[in-house]
Amino acid sequence: MSLLLETVDLHKSFGGITAVDGATIDVETGSITGLIGPNGSGKTTLFNLITGVFTPDAGDVFFAGKKVTAARADKLCHMGLARTFQITRLFWNRSVLENMMVPVPHVGLRSLFGPGMRSEEEGRAMALLERVGLDHLHDQPAKELSFGQQKLLELAAVLMSNPSLVLLDEPAGGVNPTMIGFIMELVRALHQEGVTFLIVEHNMPMVMELCDRVLVLDVGVRIADGTPAAIQSNPRVLDAYLGQ
Amino acid sequence: MTFPKVSRLWFGLGLIVLLALPWLFRNPYYHLLGFNLWLLVVTASAWNMLSGYTGYKSLGHSAFFGLGAYLVAITAARYGWNPLWSAPVLGLGVGVIALLVGWVLLRADGSAFVIASIAVLLIFRLLALNLRGLTSGAPGLSQPLPPWSPQFSRMPFYYYMLGLAIITVGVSGFIRRTRFGLGLFAIRDDEGKAASVGVATNLYKVLAFGISAYFMGVAGGIWSYFQGHISPIFTFDILNDVDMVIASMLGGLGTLWGPVLGAFIIVPARDLILFRFGESQIHLAVFGVLMILIIVLLPNGIITTYRNRRRRRAGRTSAFAGARTAAEMTEAAQKADQSGPEKPVR
Repeated sequence: MSLLLETVDLHKSFGGITAVDGATIDVETGSITGLIGPNGSGKTTLFNLITGVFTPDAGDVFFAGKKVTAARADKLCHMGLARTFQITRLFWNRSVLENMMVPVPHVGLRSLFGPGMRSEEEGRAMALLERVGLDHLHDQPAKELSFGQQKLLELAAVLMSNPSLVLLDEPAGGVNPTMIGFIMELVRALHQEGVTFLIVEHNMPMVMELCDRVLVLDVGVRIADGTPAAIQSNPRVLDAYLGQ
Repeated sequence: MTFPKVSRLWFGLGLIVLLALPWLFRNPYYHLLGFNLWLLVVTASAWNMLSGYTGYKSLGHSAFFGLGAYLVAITAARYGWNPLWSAPVLGLGVGVIALLVGWVLLRADGSAFVIASIAVLLIFRLLALNLRGLTSGAPGLSQPLPPWSPQFSRMPFYYYMLGLAIITVGVSGFIRRTRFGLGLFAIRDDEGKAASVGVATNLYKVLAFGISAYFMGVAGGIWSYFQGHISPIFTFDILNDVDMVIASMLGGLGTLWGPVLGAFIIVPARDLILFRFGESQIHLAVFGVLMILIIVLLPNGIITTYRNRRRRRAGRTSAFAGARTAAEMTEAAQKADQSGPEKPVR
């Protein structure tokens, strides 16, 4: 299988604190890859380095065969790399439907000054909203949704940019078990439709059931890589989590 | 753009009234008041296109008002260009300069951006004071008087500024409906998030800066013709920015009609206070107090506060709608659970 995403020896420090210390990971096309590690192990920083929020001190990022180190976030999005955030980020004062329309790709000035709501895109947005059960709330401001609905909206909205890889940062964080089941089904269905996922998550049952491969990060370095079953019995992983 | 029939009718009626007003009120004072009113509608709406839509609050935007005023005055004095056509043309030059300034300035955000924008205004004022060969320095520049009869001296300005106000509000409304406008609102809510979903935030902000500055420049150009004489201190004046900010915030920051409503309140209020208290400059103190009151009592402005209230009144139905989804969600998830694979391993 070909590699969709690859990071090579990424380094990032904030002052005296080293957050990511030579992280080398890869994500195969068509996989659901889990990225786990104790709190502070550099998972979110790694996401931020991959998606252009932070510039790495050293190392490189490759996406779809192209070097994209420190590329701008919006360019990466146009290349097909989308992400959600650990703490849900939406355009709070905009309606649910408008939140869906912002990520729609556009090319050139003509479409930039074209209508904000094109009917064909609006139809696609409504179909996606229907899939996550938010279609009847399309004209509500995003800030008035419940916590779980906001998480679903964030995921649905990034899909509007037609991503080939979606990075999910704790999709199950603070979400009730029923909703976790719903999110897992959604990820599986999208995976069937050809979307690749890299998921940071602390909910181990979810990671073990959903992912076909799991990477473990500790103190900014990859310490394990394998199938969920192999990871669960890996002594280095147990050591990192439990400090044995 | 398509309007519903009723609103098109109201628009037509309103326009006829606005066109007839100078003939109904012949006192030149009312023509001055009307001109100042449309001027603030233009500048506040232009300011709102940048600061209301993107959240980047510039307090030095009258730098471009002054730049337009000087470009028009210089070309009128030197080459005899008629400001009525040169203002909208030279406005393009102002817009281009603003694109360059904005490209640098918009790297700052929050309060750093506000301070930097004031610095731009002060730099422009210093240039106007010191490039004496071009601007005549502190005494300022005069330009030829309008050719029309003094009896009607202010009427053409009233109509010109009314036209410009309609165009500015029209462009502002047009932007709101485009993908560009949607991107600007996204930047205002969360710029980092906007970038992560593909909005080229720098391009959007700089374009908004340029478009906004174009209208500032045209308004400044016509204003300089109206004044007949301009000097750096009054042309590059932060009080112009204060007027735009108060009008936009009072009416409703980031709304289409907020700056218009604000201007309709601010301009007559300013004149009233000036009448009452003469030239004591007390209106500055009153406006300072007004600004504080708006920020404390009406932080969202009249239009937004009114809308929120109406929404809240209708809000009960939406709460029920949310509850129903939660039930539907559970049902959907249960269905998914039954058809899906075995339960998660623990």
